[in-house]
Amino acid sequence: MTTSTTGTAARPAAVPALEVDGLSVSYGKFVAVESVSFTVGAGECVAVIGPNGHGKSSMVTAVAGLVRRGGTVRVFGETLPTGSPGAAVKTGLVLVPERRHLYPDLTTRDNIMLGSYSHTRRVWARQAWEDVSSVLEMFPELTRLLDQNAGTLSGGQQQMVALARAMAAKPRVLLLDEPCLGLAEAVSRRVYEWLGEMTKTDMTILLVEENPVHALIVADRAVRMYKGLVEQPGVAA
Amino acid sequence: MSNFLNLLAAGLTSGGIYGIFGACLAVWFRVCNVLNLAVGDFAMIGAIATAKLVQDFGLPFWLSIVIAVVGAGLVAWVFDRVVLHFAFDRGVGAHGIVSVFFYTFGLSLLLEGTARAVWGTDVFGAPAIWSGPALPIADFHVQRAGVLVIGLAIISGLLLWAYLRFTVSGRAASACGESVLGSRIVGINSGLFRRRIFVGTAVLAALFGIVESPLSGFTFMSGPTISLIGVVAAGFSAFRKPGRAVLVGLAIGVAEAMLGGYVSTSYNDVLLYAVLFGIIIFRPEVLGLRAEPA
Repeated sequence: MTTSTTGTAARPAAVPALEVDGLSVSYGKFVAVESVSFTVGAGECVAVIGPNGHGKSSMVTAVAGLVRRGGTVRVFGETLPTGSPGAAVKTGLVLVPERRHLYPDLTTRDNIMLGSYSHTRRVWARQAWEDVSSVLEMFPELTRLLDQNAGTLSGGQQQMVALARAMAAKPRVLLLDEPCLGLAEAVSRRVYEWLGEMTKTDMTILLVEENPVHALIVADRAVRMYKGLVEQPGVAA
Repeated sequence: MSNFLNLLAAGLTSGGIYGIFGACLAVWFRVCNVLNLAVGDFAMIGAIATAKLVQDFGLPFWLSIVIAVVGAGLVAWVFDRVVLHFAFDRGVGAHGIVSVFFYTFGLSLLLEGTARAVWGTDVFGAPAIWSGPALPIADFHVQRAGVLVIGLAIISGLLLWAYLRFTVSGRAASACGESVLGSRIVGINSGLFRRRIFVGTAVLAALFGIVESPLSGFTFMSGPTISLIGVVAAGFSAFRKPGRAVLVGLAIGVAEAMLGGYVSTSYNDVLLYAVLFGIIIFRPEVLGLRAEPA
């Protein structure tokens, strides 16, 4: 079964920023995502909502190339090979994963700098850092934590590092998987303030969020995933 | 005094070997959290292959070195493509604690058995790269091969340290060991780093085997002993810091020589295993073990 959603694109463009066509993900015999199709226009922020365990994270990690998938994923018309996250990053599709997956024994500075790995031509870490240090303007609270190992930071600080690392990759399409999972309410608000700022730029955002109240604060529209299928379109209030 | 200095020189020489193998283990573990228990076997391949190519085939010494070193690298590359790639990149086979040591332990046994079948049980030593009588320094003497071993150990340790500390590539290699998924997210190919460093350390080990073999000679079963001492040196560097592993290796070598010189050579092994027990009891975390709360 294929279900497509078209929704209401806030800023439609000729070539969609992200096209997902017939995407499916299986773990052995278990089908986590079944023939999902949708598009996200350039500059749009689309939320993927739905209960836990219904394929949202599997879908987004497959789009990012981290798990093998069936179907097609295109970024600004360019088809991505399956299971190749490096190719996805090079096209400008960058994932901030659930639980962040930082490098705990590397410093905050290194964590952010490595976001630029796929496009930097620098040999020396210091020069690569200088190229991306401007991301701190978006996350000034990280400035005093640059030399601290990421594993020693609080959950909220780690989330900021994960976002800064993603921004260092110069994303055109940003995938956010449960960015507020396990964070205090005040920290979640800070994350959504930042996301609100990003929606004012030309960046395209696909936001996976269990909590629709959170998601619809910033999203132009939403799609719902249920039992591995994109079920219905929705439009933000 | 001259006895002390001679023991010091001998200890630094053997310690240089321990240190460099500890560094090889530490840098690879840092990248993929796997112990390379075959690192000593690559040294054995380098030393014996060079000796055989020169003695039996009459090839020029430097050409023999190149062939032996490239051959060791090729063995490592093939093993990575045929075994490690499927185990770690494709998720085939056993995982967890088994993968930490079993694959390279199996490779060690494979190389040992093959070497015995092909080269027999004789002791081999490659010709000396820097031949000549021992160098007199004050009133003691240092073997030229020993000078090369110590110098190469220090240079290799420094280069590995600088690579990991100062380069983007070195940081990316470290990130692979910290979080495979996290590294893939930013486009780092963790499999490629694992392969490059596995092959690179195999080549380095083979080169050291060639340099050192005029001093001690190699048999088909020399590898595991070297690897074991490398594990101790790497353990004291938390399997993360190749520079520190070189320093620890030098310290172990000196301690072993002093104990052998002033007490008894029988205590060499006692010291080695005492150090191992010490790690397990007092620093279990460096072996990837966790002490249970009392």
